[in-house]
Amino acid sequence: MLSCKQVVDRADHLLAGEMPWRQRAGVFFHLVICVHCRRYLRQLRVLLAALPHLRPRATEAQVDAVMARLHQPDAADSSAADAPREP
Amino acid sequence: MELSLDDMDALLPQLRSGDADSFRQLVARYHGALVGVARTFLRDGEAEEAVQEAWVSAYRHIARFEGRSSLRTWLTRIVINEAKMRLRRNGREILLNVATVETEPLADRFDAGGHWAQGPQQWDSQSPEALLEERDLLDCLRRTLAKLPTNQRAVLELRDFQGEELDAICNMLEISASNVRVLLHRARTQLFSVVDHYQETGEC
Repeated sequence: MLSCKQVVDRADHLLAGEMPWRQRAGVFFHLVICVHCRRYLRQLRVLLAALPHLRPRATEAQVDAVMARLHQPDAADSSAADAPREP
Repeated sequence: MELSLDDMDALLPQLRSGDADSFRQLVARYHGALVGVARTFLRDGEAEEAVQEAWVSAYRHIARFEGRSSLRTWLTRIVINEAKMRLRRNGREILLNVATVETEPLADRFDAGGHWAQGPQQWDSQSPEALLEERDLLDCLRRTLAKLPTNQRAVLELRDFQGEELDAICNMLEISASNVRVLLHRARTQLFSVVDHYQETGEC
């Protein structure tokens, strides 16, 4: 039987859908009887779904600045950040 | 609420043909998130500049982008390369591997047998939308994010803000999969414990 700490430690694995079925079954068996771990997983999902929205969208001024930069004649000539190899 | 970060890939044909309006849409969609990634490594002003530089690079090369990764992933790689180059140029180095001495944020919540000694609070906000309505909590989360160690923040940014796959994160940050998992777990549990504390006390 998994402990609560083990369930919490494995939560990221579980949420990523990467957990083998045997381990997943162990977690689900624990969740059936543990209200705290059910709550932890449910609320962790809520938090993770909210996180990307903490980041403010770019302002018009930021977008304008980028677009203006694209057409500067010396743009990026000194940059080493060329397009990376695609995997 | 927009939850997909990959919807801009539909614009690829226009982007490859150099359509400025489409590129503007791309910038509007991703710039904020990319600045968030750059801020993990660089100071605010420098992060903005690095992302601008990355956009120039992307604009120059997008016709050759073959779509083997998502546009978002491709852009994120360019930003990280630019950030690393700037750090190297200034003789700065970032250590991204795991420091073993840190304690787990939720460690004191378990008893010796690994069971919850104090379980999580029942949060008032039971949906992402409700959580995002809590202005004080969001400020608190932003402050917590800013204080996270660089390695934890980098992994969290890439995984939970940008939605990158673990393999891609290992490649971008040049750290092992096990390190990525440990860092992600620490960052997530730190944020979880902050929200949990806020729900219990109303304070950050």
